[in-house]
Amino acid sequence: MTASEGVQVLISTVFVLAFTSFSFAQTPESSAAPHSSNAIPAALVLRALRANRVFNGNSFPELFSDAAVESSSPASGNVSIDPGASTQGQRDPQPNAQGQAPSNPQAPSLEDLGLSPEQTKGNPQLQARLDRRTHMLKIHQRLGLITAIPMIATVATSFGAGGRATSTSDRWAHLALGSMTTGLYFTAAAFAIRAPGIAGTKRRGPIRVHRALAWIHGPGMILTPILGAIAFDQKSKGEKVHGIASAHGPVAIVTAGAFGAALLSVSLKF
Amino acid sequence: MNRTGFVALLLFAAASFAQTNQQWILQQSTLSYHVSHPLHQTDGVSHEAKGKGVCHEGECDFLIAAPVKSFNSGDSNRDLHMLQATRGAEFPLVTVRTRLPESEASMTMIQADLEIQFAGQTAQYKQVSLQLTKEGDYVRVIGTVPATLSDFKIDPPSLLGIAVKNEIPVRVDMTWREQK
Repeated sequence: MTASEGVQVLISTVFVLAFTSFSFAQTPESSAAPHSSNAIPAALVLRALRANRVFNGNSFPELFSDAAVESSSPASGNVSIDPGASTQGQRDPQPNAQGQAPSNPQAPSLEDLGLSPEQTKGNPQLQARLDRRTHMLKIHQRLGLITAIPMIATVATSFGAGGRATSTSDRWAHLALGSMTTGLYFTAAAFAIRAPGIAGTKRRGPIRVHRALAWIHGPGMILTPILGAIAFDQKSKGEKVHGIASAHGPVAIVTAGAFGAALLSVSLKF
Repeated sequence: MNRTGFVALLLFAAASFAQTNQQWILQQSTLSYHVSHPLHQTDGVSHEAKGKGVCHEGECDFLIAAPVKSFNSGDSNRDLHMLQATRGAEFPLVTVRTRLPESEASMTMIQADLEIQFAGQTAQYKQVSLQLTKEGDYVRVIGTVPATLSDFKIDPPSLLGIAVKNEIPVRVDMTWREQK
């Protein structure tokens, strides 16, 4: 991760936490506010991430802009190729053009093997796309692993977040850790979603499980903070958690379980 | 045509037939690389290599080429990362060249000097042991090339902060047919 990308992640997280704190400010006036003002829908988080372009004008467009991908596609009239790259071999310290004529004229050449031009010719645009894909997925992996830490802490603090008191330090800690988890989760997800795909690739192996589990923990990470906000509001008013808010705990547990399984599916060999 | 010219023509034709090049064609192949990581042991296999050998004046030149993207480890995500790490889009083939004495085709074990082009780099491997087994009109060649990531200037991929081992031995199992 470059320094600018790290700053972007940090700003996003701080922004989400600040937004969350503002939403949950416990003043007598705000306690009567409508429930909807305390919700943190995913769209707001993503909008916050994109809004960082206002603060820092270059690094987000560089990673998340479709233009950066389109500029390297052959269909575009403005092909952007790494100045150090070229077709077949000139970039390397030991120039090595594949298919160069052997010194012995009797020796076979690549043409003799019946390989198609498509198989022998290099594609710098595809290489650039692969490089960007790998770079973004590495960030996704790191952020995903980092997200696991506050997620575990959030689950740990959930046991003390109940109770009869209208305000407890455990409940505030649970809220803060949950908000941090949400911010990191959606930042990690954004890198995976926006990583360029490679046409013609048939998905095989554990990645299929990893992607399938996203359909569980993705909606779960949207529902859990919303239900948690409702439950927090009820508790703050001295009420027992009831209605849809009572699903906050089970939804959170399923979400965390799916997230952990997704992490393990690409880390360990089963 | 006079008699001298006719005799010269006959001699020339005889000489040409005597020097016909023997050729070998790669019938089938299994190339597999092995990557070691504390959490994963991975093998990527390709069956799409093409090869040809041309023998002339007692020496045979062989060329084998396999598309980098044909190596399948069972995990498409890993294969794409492999393609990126080995610059397989820019250098789509791994090629192997070697020259062997024609007489060694009848031996059961040979030592070959290999020139391998991969990931935009060229590496030489001296005295690689290859086991030869004659099966009718076919010759089966089995061996292991002691390749490393550093030989081809490939940055070692990592998982959970731990890099894979530098050694990536490549096992070759090829069946060649003599083309008469």
